[in-house]
Amino acid sequence: MVAPKIIHDFSADPNPLVRTFRQRPLVLALARRELLARYRGGVLGFLWSLVNPLLLLLVYATVFRLVFEPRADVRPYALFLFGGVLVWSFVSGALLDAAETFRANGPLLRKTTVAPEVFPAVAVVARLSHLILALPVLATALAVAALAGSVRPGFAVVAFPLVLLLLALMVYGLALAVSSLSVHFGDVRDLLANLLTLAFFVTPVLYPVEAVPQRFRFLLFFNPFAPFFAAVHDCVFYFRPVSALDWVWMLLAAGLSLLAGSALFARLRDSIAEEA
Amino acid sequence: MAPPAVLVESVTKLYRRYGRKRSVGTLKSALLSGTGARALSPDEAVSALRDVSFSVKAGETVGVVGANGSGKSTLLKLLSGIVRPTAGEVRVRGRLAALLELGAGFHPEISGRENIEINGLLLGLTKREIARRFDEIVAFAEIEEFLDAPVKTYSSGMAVRLGFSIAAHSDPEVLLVDEVLAVGDEAFSKRCLEKFAEFERAGKTLLFVSHDLALVAERCRRALWLDRGRLAADGPSGETVALYRESVASKGGERRLAAEAVETAPARRIGSGSAIVHGARLLDAEGRPAGRLRSGDPARIEMEVEAREPLSDFVFGVAIATVSGTIVFGTNTEIDGLAAGRFLGKGRAILELPSLDLASGVYSLDVAVHGKDGSPYDYRRDLLRFEVTADSDVAGTWNPNRTWAFDGEIHWTK
Repeated sequence: MVAPKIIHDFSADPNPLVRTFRQRPLVLALARRELLARYRGGVLGFLWSLVNPLLLLLVYATVFRLVFEPRADVRPYALFLFGGVLVWSFVSGALLDAAETFRANGPLLRKTTVAPEVFPAVAVVARLSHLILALPVLATALAVAALAGSVRPGFAVVAFPLVLLLLALMVYGLALAVSSLSVHFGDVRDLLANLLTLAFFVTPVLYPVEAVPQRFRFLLFFNPFAPFFAAVHDCVFYFRPVSALDWVWMLLAAGLSLLAGSALFARLRDSIAEEA
Repeated sequence: MAPPAVLVESVTKLYRRYGRKRSVGTLKSALLSGTGARALSPDEAVSALRDVSFSVKAGETVGVVGANGSGKSTLLKLLSGIVRPTAGEVRVRGRLAALLELGAGFHPEISGRENIEINGLLLGLTKREIARRFDEIVAFAEIEEFLDAPVKTYSSGMAVRLGFSIAAHSDPEVLLVDEVLAVGDEAFSKRCLEKFAEFERAGKTLLFVSHDLALVAERCRRALWLDRGRLAADGPSGETVALYRESVASKGGERRLAAEAVETAPARRIGSGSAIVHGARLLDAEGRPAGRLRSGDPARIEMEVEAREPLSDFVFGVAIATVSGTIVFGTNTEIDGLAAGRFLGKGRAILELPSLDLASGVYSLDVAVHGKDGSPYDYRRDLLRFEVTADSDVAGTWNPNRTWAFDGEIHWTK
């Protein structure tokens, strides 16, 4: 038998990352479609995407103000939480969407020549857009707090977009893995939801890295999300430069995640259009 | 010599079945039982294509015929790169557009305008190319007034026109079309065919799957016949179609009586496409597909139908006419007192005739699914032709069960 081979002039490169990059106009258009279709529901449309993080924020802020006494270095605590919770809802939203994207886009996969790696990318870009749309609220909250004298804004905030970019790349690597596994296993999304709940509490989202007892702090090194959230707090709460160690760590986490995710995806790609 | 536009070499495609494993196929159990990697391997394979080889020169128009399940759609999916061959090689040179399902990429909630852009990108156009062809696409689809309405408000005819228009204007060098012309009204089908002719003149390569044998014979110089996954014939379309017809006709035991009713063409077909009649068969007393029936024997007419959207207003109709077009008998589910409930997806409508009281001759069969007000979803005139034989040649077309009786001094020698 002749070895299986399929050659199209238009899709020579087998690397999922290269293929996604080539398809970026489609990724952006599909992400825009997601947002449009979601927000077309009503006048409140886009505001709904803010309700969830705001509600969460309200709960945390109330509980931690009335029930627990927050540490002195995280006051005002509501503001400390806001950045982290917003960014976390991007991470969990994108991964949960990625776990469902092939099922949701079955007809497209089976009936058009679209490259499947586009869909996890759309999940990430759409959720990132939600986050970006919510940033003016964060900026307003920071400005109010700055006027009241409770935070002192600084130029360190300029590193924030770069932190988000690296985080989005890492999440894309994970999304590639999650989406391709979800084609073969029915329970990927449930498993993922549980893992994400766990990850939320072992990642410094609700607390600063400094709050972790010294003897447990090494454990954070095994959590790829940890440097990103330390950096988020540095950028939009403490307004201090992100440490060099965190930069290296984030780069490594993003790089490894992309490599592993695309390798797994490339191995499982052939069955996606058949199984989705 | 120029390299072929499409090259298929010793291609075999097995579809994997994950059967039992799939139903308990959870990542948790795979990890816990330590069978992680093995759980990803199939436990059964079904072959869709076996050792198929052919090549198509640039500028050729090739028809693909064959029964349902013979691998035609799999072939187009392989060529378009949606699925990969299990063994063998597939090569396509030049920009490819595949129309495996019209409007496959439409999102119901967003406007036609936005859908045109996404569909164009899906077909490999750049944003600039889409902008340049936008007006042409809209004009061909005739959806100007609805451009900014969400696609869910479109009739199925409009969606079909838009889908075809985008694909046709994506300027492919190789176009693959899977039985999509069956949907839509006659005027639109005609324009599609004109577009195909235009492609041919422009030296583009076209492969199309169709059940309309007359269309294949007429439009294509060459045709492929796939029979249960194997390439059974590859040659001038007239010959291929004749071979295929012969094979269909010779299936079943008694050659002549059991010969399947011939699917006539060009089938005259009108309708919105909300529901489709995929085909119809005529079965004899023993339940075998037949092209020739005995007068007075039981007969059964079966139609394969599909509703593409949920329908609460639907009527199935059947009419038998002489070849000259005079209706001999016609009925539908409404005439026969059935009230429509719900219809969605594939189905079969069966009309039992305890005795086919037709005079000997050749008849044609019309089948249709339409609305209560008569507006056609899919009306297929002259879909089948069949022959009726009778022991006696009556005048007219009715040959009822009958007896004579006499009073008085009237005697017969026999």
